[in-house]
Amino acid sequence: MLRTSFAIERRESDLVVAARGGDVGAFEDLIGPHADRLYSVVLVLLRDSGEAEDVLQETLLRAWRGIGRFRGRAMIFTWLYRIAVNESNRALERRSRRASAGPVDDAVAGVAAPAHHGPARRAEQHALQQALGDAIAGLAPQYRAALVLRDVEGLSTREAAQITGVGEAAFKSRLHHARQKVRAVLGDAALLSAAS
Amino acid sequence: MRLIRRGDDHAWAQPRLSHYVEGELGWRARRRLELHAEECPDCSRGIRALRALLRLLHQSAIESETRAPAGIFDRVRRDTSGDPRDRDREEEAT
Repeated sequence: MLRTSFAIERRESDLVVAARGGDVGAFEDLIGPHADRLYSVVLVLLRDSGEAEDVLQETLLRAWRGIGRFRGRAMIFTWLYRIAVNESNRALERRSRRASAGPVDDAVAGVAAPAHHGPARRAEQHALQQALGDAIAGLAPQYRAALVLRDVEGLSTREAAQITGVGEAAFKSRLHHARQKVRAVLGDAALLSAAS
Repeated sequence: MRLIRRGDDHAWAQPRLSHYVEGELGWRARRRLELHAEECPDCSRGIRALRALLRLLHQSAIESETRAPAGIFDRVRRDTSGDPRDRDREEEAT
């Protein structure tokens, strides 16, 4: 196990060196294994496949241009996530400006509660997942990122805090706030119904 | 050690339900919250709802597993024509 981990690290560091020298193939080998997961996170954050693809491309371009400054202190995926979350937040800001809306968090109160009267449980679950997506989309970017990285992606608090650029205490505060907001939007009855 | 139940337990417990579910509370706080939740349907339901929410979020990750679209390195490839030191300088400036 240790040998495997060492081999992967060694390979990553070799690829980083090659990418710094302008080897785009090495860069693709380095980043490629993380691309699906990165896209998945950006898609959950943005809920728009076109915008998510655009943000992913911008993330990779920034990573390529910034690879010279990657010193290997952080893991490569932590570094990539950080760029992706920042780019997603930029996209959300642009979207917010386009819509000339107020703070994104205000939208939470307007999200419809999930349907409970569907003829089939499958339809009810689908409605709840849809409402969950709406509730996440209604969170302000910093809360949205906290919830997605920790509870959807399953990263540790330390990793997620590093990615979002805040301390662990501040991150936990954002996470708990986000959970309470989403819980309030969905309603306890719908959540318990889904669990039963 | 005996824990004293207090009248303000409900107001104290509500903002800590997520911390409790996360396992972040110390022994004393955890016990205080559990004792209160045994008698408080609102807090008890809140704990179950938060656990259900976490399951739902985890499930959404499984269902949203997606493949990155083809061509995601296109912009990178277009950017490779210059000297890598130029791209570093350009990035520093942004």
